[in-house]
This record gives sequence, structure tokens and C-alpha cells, in this order.
Amino acid sequence: MNLRLLLCTAGLALAACTTPAPEEAPVDLESVPLKPAPGTMKRLSAQQYANTVRDLFGADIVVPHALEPDQAVEGLISIGSAMTTISPLGVERYEAGALQLARQAFDNEERRARVMTCSPGSAADEACYREIARDFGRKAWRRPLSDTELTRLVSLGVQAGTQYNDFDKGAEFLLTALLQSPNFLFRIELGEPDPDRPRRFRLSDYEMATRLAYFLTNSTPDDELLDAAENGELTTHDGLHAQVNRLVESPKAREAVRGFFTELYQLSQLDDLQKDTTVFTFMDKELGPAAREETLLLLEDIIFERNGDFRTFFTTTRTFVDKRLAALYGIASPVTDGFGAVRLPSGMGRRGFLGQASFLTLQSHPIDTSAVLRGKFVRTALLCGEIQPPPANLNTGLPEVSENARTLRERSEIHQNNEGCASCHKAMDPIGLGFENFDAIGRWRDKENGVPIDAGGDLDGRRFSNAWELGAAVAEHPQLGYCLARNLYRYATGHVEEVGEVLFIDALAEKFRQSGYRVKALMSALATSPAFRYASEPVSEGVEE
Amino acid sequence: MKSLMHRRTFLRGMLAGSAVSVGLPLLDIFLNDSGTAFAVGGGLPKRFGLFFWGNGILPDRWVPTGTGAGDAWTLSEQLAPLASVKDDITLVTGMSVKVPNVEPHTAGAAGILSGAPLLLEGDHRTFTMPSIDQVIAAELGGYTRFRSIEFGAAPKAGLSYNGPDNQNPPESSPKALFDRIFGGGFTLPGEDGVADPSLGLRRSVLDAVMEDAAQLQSRLGAADKARLDQHLTGIRELEKRIAWLEENPPSLEACGIPATPAEIYPDVEGRPQLSTKNRVMMDTLAMALACDQTRVFTNWFTYSVNNLLFPGAPSGHHQLTHDEPGDQPEVNKIVKHIMEELRYTIEALRAVPEGDGTLLDNTILLATTDCSLGRTHSMDDFPIVLAGTAGGTFKKNFHYRSPSKENASKVLLSIVRSLVPVAGSFGAADGRAEDGLGDIEVL
Repeated sequence: MNLRLLLCTAGLALAACTTPAPEEAPVDLESVPLKPAPGTMKRLSAQQYANTVRDLFGADIVVPHALEPDQAVEGLISIGSAMTTISPLGVERYEAGALQLARQAFDNEERRARVMTCSPGSAADEACYREIARDFGRKAWRRPLSDTELTRLVSLGVQAGTQYNDFDKGAEFLLTALLQSPNFLFRIELGEPDPDRPRRFRLSDYEMATRLAYFLTNSTPDDELLDAAENGELTTHDGLHAQVNRLVESPKAREAVRGFFTELYQLSQLDDLQKDTTVFTFMDKELGPAAREETLLLLEDIIFERNGDFRTFFTTTRTFVDKRLAALYGIASPVTDGFGAVRLPSGMGRRGFLGQASFLTLQSHPIDTSAVLRGKFVRTALLCGEIQPPPANLNTGLPEVSENARTLRERSEIHQNNEGCASCHKAMDPIGLGFENFDAIGRWRDKENGVPIDAGGDLDGRRFSNAWELGAAVAEHPQLGYCLARNLYRYATGHVEEVGEVLFIDALAEKFRQSGYRVKALMSALATSPAFRYASEPVSEGVEE
Repeated sequence: MKSLMHRRTFLRGMLAGSAVSVGLPLLDIFLNDSGTAFAVGGGLPKRFGLFFWGNGILPDRWVPTGTGAGDAWTLSEQLAPLASVKDDITLVTGMSVKVPNVEPHTAGAAGILSGAPLLLEGDHRTFTMPSIDQVIAAELGGYTRFRSIEFGAAPKAGLSYNGPDNQNPPESSPKALFDRIFGGGFTLPGEDGVADPSLGLRRSVLDAVMEDAAQLQSRLGAADKARLDQHLTGIRELEKRIAWLEENPPSLEACGIPATPAEIYPDVEGRPQLSTKNRVMMDTLAMALACDQTRVFTNWFTYSVNNLLFPGAPSGHHQLTHDEPGDQPEVNKIVKHIMEELRYTIEALRAVPEGDGTLLDNTILLATTDCSLGRTHSMDDFPIVLAGTAGGTFKKNFHYRSPSKENASKVLLSIVRSLVPVAGSFGAADGRAEDGLGDIEVL
């Protein structure tokens, strides 16, 4: 807890500095004091598993679904996947998935050609099995396989090939072993001593390839990255920078940005929204996914098309809608199919991410809006504030709608008037009430129960009188940039920072500010930084427990 | 021809780290000539089941009137849906969950399911001890193809823990649950299985994967080593399940293949089909027990803090527990709806004849939730319903009301001891119990 407070304060102090003066010295991340965290063992998330098998077998492969569920910790699946394991049911599902994938690999000539790098002489052709295990194994496990590992796979291939008298069948079982192995399902970072400074521990070349690939493309390393690792380039300054630049500028970097923000903003929950369709006749299963796409398209537009200032995400009148969202927002649809860019009319009160259906529906109840959910999201996910759970054995109900309290604002006053509630709710409710002009599926409304909505308030000392002014206040909040940098750091490294990393994150946030809040610059700075390249030695037996 | 494969030696390892021990070597069961899974224990198998829902109850309308046996007590308003199974249930009221209430719902769930405090660090939360189903599965799991089966009508439910940060996610698709148990390779008693050559190869693959994992383990730090160890346990169990398909077809008389569920159960008016899904899954599960495919199940009907829209409800369940004014008629309806599903769960077990009685007689089912009054998240007067007697160990048609806020873990310890007689205690810290609740046991 103390650590967290310290972090917030440090972040606030730094980020609150004035706008960069022309002569300001650029932050040098190489020289910031840092005690790196140990490497992690992260299970592939469902999205990473899907992206990975598409890269391995081709885009048209049918990806097994219903695998081990992802689990978010501190709002991020990447942290959860470095802590959890694979359950017995998960093992079963990964096995079924591996069998399914291996079968598909041989039921289509193009896919088969990706795996079959040799022509077998017989159903038990050891040399050919070895070649497949070596070549495809290197892609699947993201590193070269040892002799022991190859031999193990070859003997499986021979056993199955012989039993069926069919080489392909043997190769199929060989693949299922590759795809169920912890070497595939987990991204393993063991590290190695740095030859330049023997007391320092760094990630090996192949570990760097994997870390870079999942961070910058949300998928497995491509051939070029694996070759760079093989040539030892990823542990050199120039080699690393060249690959980071290539990946950040590649189309696949969009996948990475999508993956990160989907986690951070909990956008996958848009697939199973609970909304009462008898109240919201507008609501159906497609609205949530469409709302997610709008948010992700706007992020892509700002980050990649424009290489723009991240803060405009909260203020822009530009967005992307399909027919459904256009109708929800009460604007003309720019397209008949798919999504198109639009400018929201300046008078309409809907701007930026916080005026989008994704945020507004997710952070609402099935029928009612929620000042608490919306306010908490802004306070914690966007500004990295801490909110404690309500104390136990407390009546946390809001008063019912009555003559004296017809609006949510009036009913929520109990949170402000009760000292016990106010200490936390003053950090959430005033923000959430600023979005009251949007109902639980994000439609505009002027009144609630016949009473005109008052959406005015105060965000940490800055007055706003409606949702778009609140969006502007969030955009200019001193914590916003720091918070994104800290979350990206946690996402990339898969853990919550320890004391020895605090100064580094402050410096990273400062660098982000100096870049004019360019997310691509932030990604590159992080991917080439010492915090990304170095680890501490794994904690061995007996120390941890 | 029953199987192409020779019998194989099992790698015996620790289940879920070192927290629990295996009661009998799996190998002994396996080498049993009769081909029945439970011959070692003698008699009909005993089972444990859990029915869990989120967001508590309304204590005022939950607690029955009168205490004691038979006609001495009558069902309350919220329990009225259980009328048809009153003869087979025991109500335990007035007990308290004693662990610290550090977070609404989740602390109570940790307390009633594991008897131990919830670990809460920032936004990271986990049970610190295995949940009761896994404590029991550690002993009974070796007798059957599945160590335990977790399922539930609402996706994302589930609090079955093997240990910290190590959960068993429930199956929420009725069809997937059915396929898992009765799909590929399952044969009925007396039927000759079709030899599937891939089963043996799948086991060879798992052997290879285990060798990979073992090799990797030697290079990991302690925490990751433990995580991989759990993965290894899962692989071993899968290998066992495949072997079981090959070598140990079920032999119980009532065993049959249940109806195949639909692929999907789409929402109706924005509301999940909780009831339909629950009933289809319970029908499947009852046959899984009848065929002795598992002896431990958990039915996560709904989950803590769920805001699901129940049929006819004007708001999500969790929101209603807090915001509905007065005596909360909508919350009351939802609790009664949940009790209807508990009744179905009990009846599904009672519908299967077994020996002189029914499957229910040889089961002890615990039904509970994550707090008492949802509105305040209180942990006093915790709702506990028991059904079945675990082969005559428990009283039935009985209401016990604690006069002194006794530790709810005493009930859990009674349950564990009814299946694992040697169990010494249950839970940890303030939740720990060293004595069962004698009042509900048949002495």
C-alpha cells in the first residue's frame, strides 16, 4: 500500500512539471537507477494463442476456442497469466486444441507444406521427422530445440507413423506434442548472465525475440525476428533498435495496441453485456462488439494513422461508426457496410472515448447507469488512483427514487453526506455523474425521471459542466500520461512493479510526455530500455516460500 | 478387444503441491481385476456435491420456523420451493463464517468454501487453501476417471481452488460438459468398446510432454516451478482419464447416456437461460455420478457479485441486493428462483436408483452462497442447506439452529469426515474447525 501511494505521488510530481521547454534535456532511460524484476513464465492468453496458431498454420486455420480462461490481475491479463497455472480442465482443452490443430495442418495442401519441409522415404523416416521437429519446433517453441527434445519428438513420430503406416499421421502426433508442451503454452524467461557485466542478468536473444514479438505484435516471433535472435542481434544496441523499429512500424503492431487496450479497458466483456432488451429494444448481441471496434479503430487512427497525441483520444470529435452505432448516436451513417469515419457534430455533447458506447455501456448496470462504475473506471483504469472495496457489513444501497430524490445525483448524495462513504466515493461519484447524459447503453438523454440532468462537477480541482468538458479535464489530468506508461510497463513485463522499478517508470512517463504523448514512441522506448532487456536471477528454491 | 495398450505405470506425484495426500495409491485401483472403480472401498461409492450461488439471501425470510426433526420445523418463504425434497434436506442456520470480511462476497465465499481467509493484495485476490471439493477430491479423485467436475449455468462462475492462484474453471456449456464425459471413447457397462488406436498415442504424447515439463522445471525459480508442477498434475490426470477410457468401463446398473444438450442456449430478452442450462447440466452430471465417472462435483449456478438479469427482474441481481428499497421483493423472487434450481439439483440425484435407495442417499450435497444478507454482506446466520446423507451419516428432514454463532467450518468438517473419516481439521486461522457439528450427524 505504501508503495502504491509513493508511486502515485512520484508520478504526480513528475508529470505535473510544466510543458517541455525547448532546451529540456531528453530523458535517458539507460541511466535511470533500476533493479529489474525476475523474468516471468506467462501462459499465452486466449488472444495470443489464436494469433500464434494463425501465424504458425495460416490465417484460415480454425482456432480452438474455450481454452483455459484468462484471468486479469490488477486489470491486466498479462499479469494474471504470469501468476496462474493450467488447470486439469485446461490441460484437457489444450490437448483437444492441439489434436484439432494438428489434424487441420494435414487436411489442406497449403498448410501441410508449411510443416512438411522434407519428403519422407517411409512412414518411419526418422530423418524427416527430425527435420520437421527442428524447423517447426523452432517456430512453435520460439527457440532451437535440444537434441534430447528432438529425439523425444522423433520417437513419437516414428511410433505413430508406424502404427498407422502413414508418415503424415506420425507428423500429426509430433505436432500435438509440440503444441501441448509448456514450452509452447508458456513464454519462459530464464535469463542469462550479461557477458558485458557478469553480475547483471539479461534476457537471452531468443527470450528477447519472444518478449518483443508478444509486446509489439501480440503474437509469436516471425522468421526475421528468430533469425535476428540466432545471429545474436537482439542483445546488441543496433540490432535491437532495428527490430523494434521494424515491428512498431509493421501492420501487426496494431494487433498489439488492440490487445493492450482491450485488456486495460476490459473491452472483451463487451461480448457478453447484460442489458434488458425489453427496456433497450435497441440492444442486441452485436452492439457490444461494434462498440469495441469503434474504440479500437479510434485508437489505431490516433496512434498509427496520425502518430498523434494520446490525449486527443479523450477530446476528439472524430470517431468510427457502423450503421448500428450511428443510429445509437443519432447521426447519419457514413457507410452502409462496416465502419466509417465521422465527425461528431460539435453541438452534440459526445466526444472522445468517454462519449463512446463501449465505456458507457460497460460501466453501467443492465438497466440503470452507474456513477460509481463509470467514476471508478476513470479514477483507476485511466488515472491509476486507488479505491478500496467498501467495508464489510455496511448497507451500501442507494435510496430509491422519490419526490425529493429523482435523479441519480440526488440519490447519490448519501455517499457524500456519510463520512464513511465519502472518503472513497468523492473520488468516483463526481466523475461518474458527469456522464449522466448518457443512459446505460450510451444513448443521449437530457432528463432523468423528468428532471433535467446536471452533469457538472469537479475533477481534482478542475470544474466541468458536461461530459465533453470532463473528457478534456481527463485529457489534461497530470496522471493520465503517467498512468498509461505504468500500465504499458506492467503489460509488457507481466508484473506489478517493485520498489526498484519505480524510478524507471517515472522516467518512462516523462519520456512519453517529452514525445508529445506518442504511444508508438512509448512502445519503442520501453522495448529498447534496460527494464525490458534485463531481469534479475530467478528466485531459487527455499527463498521464495 | 478391450484395449490395444498394455497397462502402464503411473508417475505418482503430489496433487496440488504438498497440501494434500492421496488416500490410496492409484495403481492399486488400476490393477483391480474386477474392472470396477470402487471395489477397493467396498459398497456403493459416496459422493460430494456443491450447489453455489452468488449474492446471499434475505435472512428474515430464509430461516425456517421450529427446529429439530420432521414436522418440528417448517420451511420458510424463501425455502418453500424445496417442499418436495424437505424429507431429504437439513437446514443449518445461525452459524457464522469466521474469517475476516476483507472484501464483500469474496471473503465470505473463501470462508464458507475453504474455511480460510481470502488473500487480497490490491486487485489480486485468491483463496489461500483448497476449497472443500478439492480437499475431498484429493481423497476420492483417484477412484474415478475425473478427479472432480466443475460446471455452472453462468459463465465466469466458479471458485474451486486447488490452492492459491490455482483454480478449476467450470464448464458453462451444457454440450461441452456432455462431450467431456460421454463424448469420444465412452462406453456403457457391458458394451465392448471400439478400440481407438489414437488413445494409446495420446498417452505417449502426454508422456513426452511430461518429460518436457520435468526438464524445464529443473531450471525455474521456486514459484514458477510450483506452477509447472500443477500443470504436470493436470497432464498426469488427463493421461489417467484416457487410460480409464481404455481399461475401466463403468459397471454400475443405473449408468446410461443422458440426452445430448443443445449446442447453444441463447439469451431470452437479454437474460441468460440459467434454469434450462442448469437442468440440462444436472441431468448430465447425475449420469456421470451414476456411471462413477467422478465422485466430486461443483455446480456454480451463479457467481459472487453477479449482476445477471433473472427472468422478470427489473435489474441485475447484485444491483438489486443493494438498491432495491424496502423488503426487497425482487431479490426475494430471485432467491426463490435459485431455490427452484436447488430443488431440481436434488431431485436429479434422487431420480437415480442405486442399491436400496437413490444416488442422493450416497451423496452429501452442500448448498450455500457468499454472504448472508446481500445488502450488507453479513457473514452471520450464513445460509447452509445440506441434502443427502452420505450413506446414512447425516440426519435428514432436520433444522439445526446454532444458539451461539458457531463456526460454519464445523459443518464443512462434518462433510469432509463423512467421506474422509481421518480428516483432522478444516480451514485455517479464525475459520479453522477441529470438531464437526455433531448435531446434524447420525451418531
